[in-house]
Amino acid sequence: MLATMMLPAQVTMIPLFILFRSMGWVDTILPLVVPAFFGSAFFIFMYRQFISQIPESLFEAARVDGMGWVGIWWRIVLPMCKPVTAITAVFTFIFVWNDFMMPLIYLHSEEKATLAVALNSFRTQYSGVEDVHLLMALSIITMVPCIVLFFAAQKQFIEGIGAGAVKG
Amino acid sequence: MAEVTLTHVNKTYQGDVHAVKGIDLSIADGEFVVLVGPSGCGKSTTLRMIAGIEDVTSGMICIGDRDVTTLPARKRNIAMVFQDYALYPHMSVAQNLAFGLERRREHGSVMKSLIDSGYRINKATEDAAIRGRVQNAAELLGLTKELDRKPKALSGGQRQRVALGRAIVRDPDVFLLDEPLSNLDAKLRRAMRLELRALHKRLGVTMVHVTHDQEEAMTLGDKLAVMDNGVIRQFDTPANIYDAPADRFVASFVGVPEMNFIEGELHGNQFISPDITLDIPLGCVPNSNDKQVVLGVRPEDIEVREGSATQVNNFERHGDHTDLFLTLGDTKLSARQHGSHRHIEGSTVDISIDAAKVHFFALAEDGRRL
Repeated sequence: MLATMMLPAQVTMIPLFILFRSMGWVDTILPLVVPAFFGSAFFIFMYRQFISQIPESLFEAARVDGMGWVGIWWRIVLPMCKPVTAITAVFTFIFVWNDFMMPLIYLHSEEKATLAVALNSFRTQYSGVEDVHLLMALSIITMVPCIVLFFAAQKQFIEGIGAGAVKG
Repeated sequence: MAEVTLTHVNKTYQGDVHAVKGIDLSIADGEFVVLVGPSGCGKSTTLRMIAGIEDVTSGMICIGDRDVTTLPARKRNIAMVFQDYALYPHMSVAQNLAFGLERRREHGSVMKSLIDSGYRINKATEDAAIRGRVQNAAELLGLTKELDRKPKALSGGQRQRVALGRAIVRDPDVFLLDEPLSNLDAKLRRAMRLELRALHKRLGVTMVHVTHDQEEAMTLGDKLAVMDNGVIRQFDTPANIYDAPADRFVASFVGVPEMNFIEGELHGNQFISPDITLDIPLGCVPNSNDKQVVLGVRPEDIEVREGSATQVNNFERHGDHTDLFLTLGDTKLSARQHGSHRHIEGSTVDISIDAAKVHFFALAEDGRRL
C-alpha cells in the first residue's frame, strides 16, 4: 500500500488512460468518479492508524455487552472514526474539486469541463490578463464550496481522538 | 447470582508462557473475592478467562450450574468493569448505561425479570424497563445529573461510577472488576472502596475483584486469593491470611512494611540466629523436623525501647505511628512504634520481639509455613 503512495501519478497516467479508453469511459465523468470510491492508500493508512489507537478494552467491553465483531465495527469503531471521516471527506473533495489534470485528460467536450479547467481556459484564450475581473469572479465561485465544507467539518477536526473513552 | 468454580484452569500463551498454572478456586454465591498479587502473577488473566475474553487452554469454569468454559462472553451473564473504564466515548452516560441492555434485546433474550413477572413484552414496555433500570442505577451512584453528558465531560470518579453503573444495569450473575480503582487518586480510591463495599452489600451479588494493592484487597474482600507466578498461594479470609500466612510469599506480600524474615536454627524451643536469640513459648514451636528455619515477625510485634543495641537507619512518620528501619548486627529489621517518635537516623534503640506472635517458615524454596 505504501508502494502505491510512492509511485508518482505521472507514471500511471498513460496506462490509466489506455485502460479507461478500452472501457469506453473517455469523455465521461466515470474516470473521475469511480476510482474515488475505491479508497486511496493515504486515507486507508490514516484510518488504520486511528483505529489502532482505540483502546483494546473498549472492544472487550463491547464483547461483554453482547456484540459480535461486525456490531463492534458498526456501533463502536465507525462512530469513533468521525474525525478521520471528516478529514477524508474534506480532503478528497478539495483534491477532486481542484483537480486539473484528470478532467483535462478525460473530458474533451466543453460542456463537461470542470471549474478548474474553465479557470485555466481564461489564461489560454486571452493570454492571461485581459478578463481579470471574470477570472476573479470564477475563482471565488470555485473557492466557496471548499470553504463552506471546511467550516462545516471544523467541529469534527477539532474534536479529540477518542477523548473520554478511557482515563485521559 | 451464582457461585463461580474454576477447576484446574490452565492458560498458556503462544511462545510457551504459562500464565495460569492449573488453579482451583471456588467462589460462593454472593461472596466478594479479591485476586491479589504482583504484576504478571496471572490474576487479570484468570479474571478475563472467567469473563470469556480470554480462552481457557485447559480446565473448566462454571458459573452457577452452567459450564461456561467455551461460552462467549455475552452468553455468560457477567458484567465487567475495566481498569481504564472503557466507556464508549461517542455515547452519553445514559446511552452507555443502556447499551448492554439494548444489545440483549436485539439478541432476542428479553429481560427475564419481565417475563417472569408475566408482562406481555412489546417495545414500549421494554423501553420503559430499560429507562427505569438506567434511572435506578444512576440514582444509586449519584449520576442523575450527568445522564446526558459525554464521558469526556466527566471527572475520573464519575467515569468510574458510570463503568460500575453499566455493570449494575445488566443485573449480572457475577461482577468482574479488573483493577477498577487504580486510576483514581488516593483519596477518591478510599471513598470508592467504601462505596464498592456498600454496593456489594446492597446488591448481594458475587464479585471478583483484581488488584495488586494488598491494602485494597484486605479491606474489600470477604476472601482473598493471593496469587504468584500463575498459582494461588493461599485462598482464605483477610484475617487468616494476615495472621497465618501459608508461606513466605504470602507473608511478605500482605502487610506494610513487610514482615521481617530472620534465618536461624531451632534448638528445642529456642530460636538462634547470629544476631538474635529468642525463647519461643511452647505452644508456638512448630511441629516440624526442620532445624534450619526462617522466623517471620511483623513490624508491629517488635517493641522499641530506649537503648543502644540497634541502630536506626531510616524512619517513616505516619502521624499516628512511625515505621523504623533498623540494623541489628547484620540483620535488617523494620518496627512499628505508636505515636510520633524522637529517634533520628543514626540514633540507637533496643528492641524486643513478641515471641508469641512469630511465624516459622521452611528454609526451602517454597517457604511453606511450619
